Amino acid sequence: MTDAPPPASAAAAARAEGATKIYGSGDTEVRALDGVDVSFNLGEFTAIMGPSGSGKSTLMHCMAGLDTLTSGEVYIGATPLSVQSEKDLTLLRRDNVGFVFQAFNLIPTLTAMENITLPADLAGRPADAEWVDKVISTVGLTNRITHRPNELSGGQQQRVAVSRALASQPEIIFADEPTGNLDSTTGGEILAFMRSAVDEYGQTIAMVTHDPTAASYADRVIFLVDGKIVDELSDPTPDTVLDMMKSLGD
Amino acid sequence: MLRLTIKNLLDKKIRFALTTLAVIVSVASVVGVFVLTDSLRASFSGLAGDIAGGSDLTVRVAQDLGQEFDRPPFDEAFADGIDVVDGVDDVIPGVFSFNDTVIIDDDGEAIRPQGPPTLGFSWDPTTFFIAAGDAPDALGEFATDVSTAADNGLIIGQTYAIDGPTRQEDFRLVGTFRFGSPDEHTSLGQTMAAFELEQAQDFLNRPGQYDAIAVVVEQGEDVATVQAAIQAAVGQELEVVTSEVIEDENAEGFDEFISIFNNILLAFAFIIVFVSTFIINNTFQIVVSQRIRELGLLRAIGATGNQVARSVYFEALLVGLFSTVVGILFGLLLGQGLRGALNSLGFSLPAGPIELQTRTIVWAAAIGVGVTMLSAIVPARRSRTISPIAAIQNDQRLAGASLTRRLWVGGVMTLIGGALLVVGLFVASTTTNVLTNVAIGAVLIFIGVNTLSPSFARPVATALGAPIARLFGTTGEIARGNAARSPRRTASTAGALMIGLALVGMAGVVGSSLTKTFLNTLDNAVEADYFVQSSSGGFDPSVTFAEEIATEIDSLPEFDSVVRYRFAQSSMRIGGVDKDVFAADFDLVERHLDADIITGGLTDADPRGSIALHQDPAEDLGVGVGDTLTATFPDGETDELTVVAVFTDSSIFGNWLVDNDVWEAHFVRTGLAFASATVTGFSDDLPQAEQDALLEQAAAAIAPVAEQFPTIVAESRVEFRQSQQDQLNSFLAVIFVLLALSLVIALIGIANTLALSVFERTREIGLLRAVGMTRRQLRRAIRWEAVIIAVFGAILGLILGVIFGVAAVIAIPDTFISIVSVPYGQLVVYVLIAAIAGILAAILPARRAARLNVLDAISHE
Ligand SMILES: Nc1ncnc2c1ncn2[C@@H]1O[C@H](COP(=O)(O)OP(=O)(O)OP(=O)(O)O)[C@@H](O)[C@H]1O
Ligand SMILES: [Mg+2]
Repeated sequence: MTDAPPPASAAAAARAEGATKIYGSGDTEVRALDGVDVSFNLGEFTAIMGPSGSGKSTLMHCMAGLDTLTSGEVYIGATPLSVQSEKDLTLLRRDNVGFVFQAFNLIPTLTAMENITLPADLAGRPADAEWVDKVISTVGLTNRITHRPNELSGGQQQRVAVSRALASQPEIIFADEPTGNLDSTTGGEILAFMRSAVDEYGQTIAMVTHDPTAASYADRVIFLVDGKIVDELSDPTPDTVLDMMKSLGD
Repeated sequence: MLRLTIKNLLDKKIRFALTTLAVIVSVASVVGVFVLTDSLRASFSGLAGDIAGGSDLTVRVAQDLGQEFDRPPFDEAFADGIDVVDGVDDVIPGVFSFNDTVIIDDDGEAIRPQGPPTLGFSWDPTTFFIAAGDAPDALGEFATDVSTAADNGLIIGQTYAIDGPTRQEDFRLVGTFRFGSPDEHTSLGQTMAAFELEQAQDFLNRPGQYDAIAVVVEQGEDVATVQAAIQAAVGQELEVVTSEVIEDENAEGFDEFISIFNNILLAFAFIIVFVSTFIINNTFQIVVSQRIRELGLLRAIGATGNQVARSVYFEALLVGLFSTVVGILFGLLLGQGLRGALNSLGFSLPAGPIELQTRTIVWAAAIGVGVTMLSAIVPARRSRTISPIAAIQNDQRLAGASLTRRLWVGGVMTLIGGALLVVGLFVASTTTNVLTNVAIGAVLIFIGVNTLSPSFARPVATALGAPIARLFGTTGEIARGNAARSPRRTASTAGALMIGLALVGMAGVVGSSLTKTFLNTLDNAVEADYFVQSSSGGFDPSVTFAEEIATEIDSLPEFDSVVRYRFAQSSMRIGGVDKDVFAADFDLVERHLDADIITGGLTDADPRGSIALHQDPAEDLGVGVGDTLTATFPDGETDELTVVAVFTDSSIFGNWLVDNDVWEAHFVRTGLAFASATVTGFSDDLPQAEQDALLEQAAAAIAPVAEQFPTIVAESRVEFRQSQQDQLNSFLAVIFVLLALSLVIALIGIANTLALSVFERTREIGLLRAVGMTRRQLRRAIRWEAVIIAVFGAILGLILGVIFGVAAVIAIPDTFISIVSVPYGQLVVYVLIAAIAGILAAILPARRAARLNVLDAISHE
């Protein structure tokens, strides 16, 4: 950690340099990521799009410290991930990274509130109560907070998951198709909530999505094809995203 | 469909291994016990033939009362009449003694193994075969068996002291012999001393008498004819039996011993089977619930409910068959291992061939396949109801029995079980009845409580988890939530531990009550100051020491009175029933032991014509002081005895007490089971310093006697109390160790359930790791979950155990246990042990969970 290279941009919450991930070898070799250079700037909401199998999830996992790269480097803030021990990675995830999956984000035996404060509890320190209250009221969960996941709707469960990611005020939140399982109205609520977290609290978010409307909530969209970043779009609208997708599809 | 099941089993090797483990342990334990006892029976039946010896007929006193070693001797003049009978080739008169002839080795230690008997004989050339030296043929000589000589370093030509039934004497060792056959010594660990006939008659206290005459029939003569002729010659006083009869009697004796042994071991084996059944059942429940999605998918593509259920049964069948085969193999090893273990505990079991009988294999299959199939019934029936929707639903659960039904079934079972237990303990009369009622009752209670327990597992687990949650925060909270989330699983996992701890708890209560009663008796009833008992008697009353020792102590000025005690089991027939009988010195015994005499007295009674008895038989027979009773003894004689006292404490003399004069008139055995002495001038009212001084003098005076006779130990009241307590404790310890085996099984069960739960919760574990739970925290969560489950089972078990124990203590006659004592401290220790067992059980599952790859775990289906 001491000899970490200076970050390319001081404003990056997380970035990848030459990120390459190869699954298998020989005939079965798959280059899920192929030299990806990307930087997620502080307080920016980035959407990641691309065809199925293009490496979106792999990128999320590797950047969140859930998986390791074959080559290249990922930094969370100024911390390079490749040199971290398993334990340090775990602590990094707990303290500096938030993650929202497509489904199954909550521990069934814990209440919504306990799920939200889980990372802080695991760290053995009190969650910032004021901040947590604020997050909960913003997300509109105040009166469901003592319920267990199986007593909540799918949308409510995802809101709890996003709240958990926000609660520890991580440097960056990675979300892999957080609205993939939801109808468009519920999905819209979640996205609006994420948008407001970026606007009001300066939270950094990177989100994978297949939905142009969802992508339009972001500040910027990057497009991934065959493990490479092929294009990028700022201030997207559903239409510009759709156009871009069409042009890439050709 | 069946192919799918097989593929499934092969695919999930860990699950398969965990499922089979419990079945294999059950099968192996039952097979092991059968193999051991069958092998023993085979070697013992060879031994029975060896002991019967090389003669054709045996002449002896007919006996129909008491133990074999109480068979009376007869006048040696009878031999003359047999010698002259036509067809008789050889006549070998013999005398024997049992458990009262003990060789003392060079170090001054008595050669008296724990368990196997010490035997004295007159020389018999048809059963003893010289290995080295010569047969004893003069006064002052003896020979011993090769293994006693080898084990104790006895050297031919050297002189050894031998304690006999009446006195100690020095003998020169002239030879060593093999018993039973010229080539191979047959040994059960017995110690043998053989003397020349006249020497034996003198030393073994058979003046002018024989115990038996062995007869060798001339070659070619008809044994039956000769038998009839001898019978005619000796008259009705004696009986003539063939060597086949003797062999059968010996075999029967061994058989009885092996059966007791077999039954005790089998009882433990079946406890293991019973405990395992819970585990197997639980495993199948989990396995089916893990496959719900897959089974739902099968239903969605057209499999019928029956087909699904059948696939569960088929899996059970495969598991059962596989485990039976493996279990039998392990059982064979276990049988050998048990033999070794028992030998190292002090038994001397003969080596011999390993016997795997068809009966054993049938049992193995019945248990292996039967228990597994039985365990699969409920899960299979539930699997029938899995709907196709389960395949696409995320939160899949097996439908459990409804709460009301559970309460009904469990409640009724518990009540019936309780009723049977009460009937067994308080109403049933024969031993078999008592045991069947109690066993079935206990099994029903266990199943009943286990059926009930899921209904309160959640609140109890939550409560037990509260301190853990407080102590370990979220980790503890997660452990607690997991223990409480599936009450049925928690309950049945805990069920195995419950049974083990119920048994341990019961043994604890009975043991503690026994000790309390015993010490209480000792404190209240004992007036004597010194006690003499066999140095290795244990609890075997047939082990005795020479009367001379009591006489010697009596002659010391430091002691002013000595009382001798003897005991015989089922050896006095009164009103057609064989009673245990105690003998003591009436004139002194009241100063030594207080049996709470309520009417009459012993001190001034006529020793030869009196009897004292407990209040209960006195009431049953309607007799009181002054009435007469007709008693028959092993020598066939009948006495009219006058009741001189009725007492109320049966814990000292049992129910029947006569004077040593009566004993000596009817029993051949003269050895003492026990003696007590009072110290001259000693009184509890003296100042402590004076008491100590007197006891010190007494100890100094008695020390040389104890040194001369290593067959005994002499202890002051305080020492005696301690040594008795120690003896009881070590006896109880053996039982605890055996019961602890069931804890090992329960431990496997917890490990099994946890491993399967971890597997089931893979995704959740992945999520926890993803949001920052460290491996250590994860291991801790699983560990505490195990502890909660274990403690739940332990508490449930101990509650049942205490209830069972108290019931048993009430049911056991007051002679043995009259005080109910619950060892609370011990119970707390058991809970702690259970908690530790939980921690141990969690080691592997926790490690496995911690090793899971986070991403794989999250995407786990
Ligand atoms: N564990 C693995 N082993 C081998 N190949 C893998 C593994 N995980 C992903 N891949 C491959 O890597 C490539 C990228 O996968 P990834 O899951 O990142 O795609 P994605 O863009 O998230 O697709 P989707 O939109 O369908 O979720 C795919 O070709 C996939 O088959
Ligand atoms: Mg993906």
